[in-house]
Amino acid sequence: MSQAGSKKGAVSKLNKNAAINSLIVFVVLLLAWVAGFASRLFAVIRFESIIHEFDPWFNYRATAYMVKHGFYNFLNWFDERAWYPLGRIVGGTVYPGLMLTSGSIHWILHLLHINVHIRDICVFLAPIFSGLTAISTYLLTRELWSSGAGLFAACFIAIVPGYISRSVAGSYDNEGIAIFALQFTYFLWIKSVKTGSVFWAVSAAVSYFYMVSAWGGYVFIINLIPLHVFVLLLMGRYSNRLFTSYTTFYILGLIMSMQIPFVGFQPIRTSEHMAAAGVFALLFAVAVLKYLQSMMSKSEFKSLVIWGGLVSAGLVFATVVGLTYAGYIAPWSGRFYSLWDTGYAKIHIPIIASVSEHQPTTWFSFFFDLHVLIPTFPAGLWYCIKHVNDERVFVILYALSAVYFAGVMVRLMLTLTPVVCMLSGVAFSVILEMYLREEDSTPAIENEEEESSQNPKRLYDKAGKVPKIIKHESKEQDAIGQNIRSIAAVVFVLLLMLFAVHCTWVTSNAYSSPSIVLASYGSDGTRQILDDFREAYFWLSQNTADDARVMSWWDYGYQIAGMANRTTLVDNNTWNNSHIALVGKAMSSNESAAYEIMTALDVDYVLVIFGGVIGYSGDDINKFLWMVRIAEGEHPKDIRESDYFTEQGEFRVDAEGSPTLLNCLMYKLSYYRFGDLRLDYRSPSGFDRTRNAVIGNKDINLTYLEEAYTSEHWLVRIYRVKKPDEFNRPRIPVANRVIKSSSFVSKKSTKRKKGTIKNKPVIVKGKRPAVKLQ
Amino acid sequence: MWKFLTVFAVLAIANAAENVNPSIINKNVERSIDLNSQLVKITGTITIENTGKQAASSYLIGFERDLQGIVSFIGVQDSQKNPLKISSVAVVGQGTNELFYNVQLRQSIEPGKTTTIIFEIVLTKALTPYPTSITQKEKQLVRYFGNHYFYSPYTTRSQKTEVSVNSRAVESYSKLKPVSQTDSTLSYGPYENIAAFSVDPLTVHYENNAPFLTVTKLERTIEISHWGNIAVEESIEIRHTGAKLKGPFSRYDYQRETTANHHSIRSYRTILPALAHSIYYRDMNGNISTSSVKPRKEYIELELKPRFPLFGGWQSSYVLGYSIPSYPYLFRKSSGEFTLKVRLLDHLFDDMAVDELETRIVLPVGVSDIKVKTPYEVKRLPDGVTYKYLDNIGRTVIRASKTNLVEQHIQDIEITYTWKTHMLLHEPILVSLALFLIFAIVIIYVRLDFSIGKPEHSKKD
Repeated sequence: MSQAGSKKGAVSKLNKNAAINSLIVFVVLLLAWVAGFASRLFAVIRFESIIHEFDPWFNYRATAYMVKHGFYNFLNWFDERAWYPLGRIVGGTVYPGLMLTSGSIHWILHLLHINVHIRDICVFLAPIFSGLTAISTYLLTRELWSSGAGLFAACFIAIVPGYISRSVAGSYDNEGIAIFALQFTYFLWIKSVKTGSVFWAVSAAVSYFYMVSAWGGYVFIINLIPLHVFVLLLMGRYSNRLFTSYTTFYILGLIMSMQIPFVGFQPIRTSEHMAAAGVFALLFAVAVLKYLQSMMSKSEFKSLVIWGGLVSAGLVFATVVGLTYAGYIAPWSGRFYSLWDTGYAKIHIPIIASVSEHQPTTWFSFFFDLHVLIPTFPAGLWYCIKHVNDERVFVILYALSAVYFAGVMVRLMLTLTPVVCMLSGVAFSVILEMYLREEDSTPAIENEEEESSQNPKRLYDKAGKVPKIIKHESKEQDAIGQNIRSIAAVVFVLLLMLFAVHCTWVTSNAYSSPSIVLASYGSDGTRQILDDFREAYFWLSQNTADDARVMSWWDYGYQIAGMANRTTLVDNNTWNNSHIALVGKAMSSNESAAYEIMTALDVDYVLVIFGGVIGYSGDDINKFLWMVRIAEGEHPKDIRESDYFTEQGEFRVDAEGSPTLLNCLMYKLSYYRFGDLRLDYRSPSGFDRTRNAVIGNKDINLTYLEEAYTSEHWLVRIYRVKKPDEFNRPRIPVANRVIKSSSFVSKKSTKRKKGTIKNKPVIVKGKRPAVKLQ
Repeated sequence: MWKFLTVFAVLAIANAAENVNPSIINKNVERSIDLNSQLVKITGTITIENTGKQAASSYLIGFERDLQGIVSFIGVQDSQKNPLKISSVAVVGQGTNELFYNVQLRQSIEPGKTTTIIFEIVLTKALTPYPTSITQKEKQLVRYFGNHYFYSPYTTRSQKTEVSVNSRAVESYSKLKPVSQTDSTLSYGPYENIAAFSVDPLTVHYENNAPFLTVTKLERTIEISHWGNIAVEESIEIRHTGAKLKGPFSRYDYQRETTANHHSIRSYRTILPALAHSIYYRDMNGNISTSSVKPRKEYIELELKPRFPLFGGWQSSYVLGYSIPSYPYLFRKSSGEFTLKVRLLDHLFDDMAVDELETRIVLPVGVSDIKVKTPYEVKRLPDGVTYKYLDNIGRTVIRASKTNLVEQHIQDIEITYTWKTHMLLHEPILVSLALFLIFAIVIIYVRLDFSIGKPEHSKKD
């Protein structure tokens, strides 16, 4: 608001202070943007401008498709290269916001003839949006507390690892733009609650629409905002502003969110969205009561509230239950159950549980991702609770729910990060205000920020809270001596510096690996690049038939489609559990049983990831138990997890491993010919570096498959599935067969007639064709 | 219009059937056929004698069978090594399968006199692998089918042929006496008094593990900037055209027996101009990290390793790009007239064979009066227009294509055009104007008050 506000204010009083303040705000936000952008570029500088990991490859492929074929064709896109033989309706099963965003950037740039490749736009989209996130966080925090806190929050969110983990250059995923949309929607919502203006509510709904188009996490907004309204009602903070903003936001948001094909009628048909509708109804009920209150006596009103409330609550509840029972409203989906019960996914949906980012968070990762913000954010929360008002109720609810979700799933750390940054910003701002208030000589940046935080507050913040803070500060300021002030200031500045160092270190070491290019460092510091994934995928794209079908575990589906452009059976979309289970079954069966599945699915090539040569731990053998579990879920008769363990219940690949494991397809494909390989002179042949064991089955022969390609470090191994006429006997080229038959004809005229009919199943009189039976 | 006329003229020349001058005879022909690489390089000297009464000014060189597609290059020089003009012609009394070139001699041969010419012919795809598919460990054998005699529309008095192969492992060769084999050379001849148009099939079946690497498609884009830079980008599709790989590819065998993978292609060298910089080597999935640049005195040597070793029948594709300063290539002739001399085709690897080439030359914004001079006959495609960074006026693209090229085709194309120097500032001025406008709009916008009424504003405060 300071920009908008100062724009307006500048006309009347071009006061020096305001100008300096807006300059400081502008400079700090710009620097936060630049710092956030720059710290996300480690991967680009160390490797190259490339799309990372798994999901981003699909997003990139979809974006490239959209740019090439246009938006309407994209919405109608039926991808026959995925989920063979089912295919996937891409247009109706994606959140198109990400593709649309980068597609429109591409379009605008090309309109100006700035010929940027769509890949580069995709790679740099998330870092650019991190700057916008910083700005919207600043706006939101300023609405909640003060401009200074906002600047702190903006700086924090620009570099905090919890957000960087999802938005480094190349990590082209929905979250990259969704966090911006989330923060911006919240800002607009707070703004509309504060002003009660339809304009801000409509803006919030539009921003919510963008969020819906970008990420499935929009459900968080559509539950948090009603929760905010509900809690405000409970606290007796009903106002016409609230009524206007929520009703406008809800109706417009509902209609707009239903325009996204993937969301469709979900907002009115699933339980996840029912809270918003319920609060909508409740708000009207409260509004009616408030109106009636003005016309009735106190006792009449009391009984009306009690009876009317009870009846209407019962009615609403019965309706919802009835509709759910009748099937009009879908009950909570499994993914949401797993948010309440962390053990739910492991039992019922192994596919969700098999993804590492769906595991419960360890306390360590809180510190790793948020560092000093974790201890300071409760302080900010406490300040908010202490000086509560309408919008601070919101941030309190936001913080509490996000902390819970982040504890349930590592992935949802992402939703916690912004609120932690905001509240830590509040905490730091309050603390530094307290300690630096009269220190004019301290030239620290914090001082400047703090200054800027006071003035807009004096100018624009609500009149109600300013005296409160001043009172609270002045009470404590008297007790603080000069030395304590400077010590505290130095300590906090040091903390902030440590935070910045930690953020850079984490970003550089943990979150900047593209994971499709691996780097290893030799003892002398030279870097060796292991480019096996791209090597093998490129081999697939160049040297297999265009319609070849590649079977691999679902993790690699998007990469195969994106980099090799070949048909896959399963991919990271994981919408069809039984299909994945079928692939898991093929991988965990023995070769002949697997061959039946593979012929049924028209598989031409099988791709496995094998890390035994270089010690890469994320390979298929380490993921194998999940394949078995998922297969067992659908085919309990054929696959049993216990078969793959030793009698002691261990999962071992060496000679003591279970025979079922040593003969299953995945094992064979991973270790084919590995038994002959000696990695160095100290270890025996067939020594698996990932599992530190000599493999149990060194003599692997393949009947139904043959090695088609193995990458340089054996990381990716591709096998060709033989056609039925190829195994058990050597394949005779068609040309040779013709020659044979022609020679047969010519021989017929000679005297060697008997020899040629030796193998023919013609019964010579008086003899039985016993020869054939051997 | 000019293009049509040229095409028409070429057709007219080709249709005008040539008569064989009966008075010319080949006094002596010495041929050497080099089968060391994937190409067949035939070089030879012909001593021509004019036995007639009139001076002869042209000489015909012919090719037997249907060599239309595989004759990539033919060059003829006189004894002082001056190149002679040649043109493709039809010959009276011969079918369309035979290919003839008319050599325009520098000085016509007087009756009774002799003269000597040197010819160089490069054939692509003349070596066929036999067997056509082999396993990973087997060696690659190829066959060459040729002619024992020098194919000529004239009588030949005496001729000798030497065939050199790169290994001693010659499986078999045709034996038209006199013939002898020493080390890796087969000598045929001398054969005396051979009639015109004689054909006697020559076959050599031998081991050839030289890389059989064919560029199936090469798109070369050269972009000229008058700021002093020329950007070159080549998008290349290559294929191993030797014996196809039969059966599995085993990484274990490939790693263990590094010497046994005879016919696979691990890497090759590309030579770039000495001034080349900002070199990149990538494909559709990004940078290919296995390459090294070695600057030499006269050139830059680039060792390119495809992402995977190429076996018979495998293919790969990549993009190679670099920048070179424009001063050695772009010259200013007179006011506003520039001459650009760049290579139509550049070196990709030794003994290369290019199936299809398309060269695009992107000229700067606002050029006119474009004149193109090509070193050899190419197919001019219609000029295109492209828009580079911030262009609002398109740039003219000169496009030329040709099939079946070899190293001998690495020659300069010359383009002359008129260009006004002030066009250099066209885009910077546009950008500064646009920025100025944006700032101006912001300045004005900030000074305007769009609020409907004051009370709302003060209430908010």
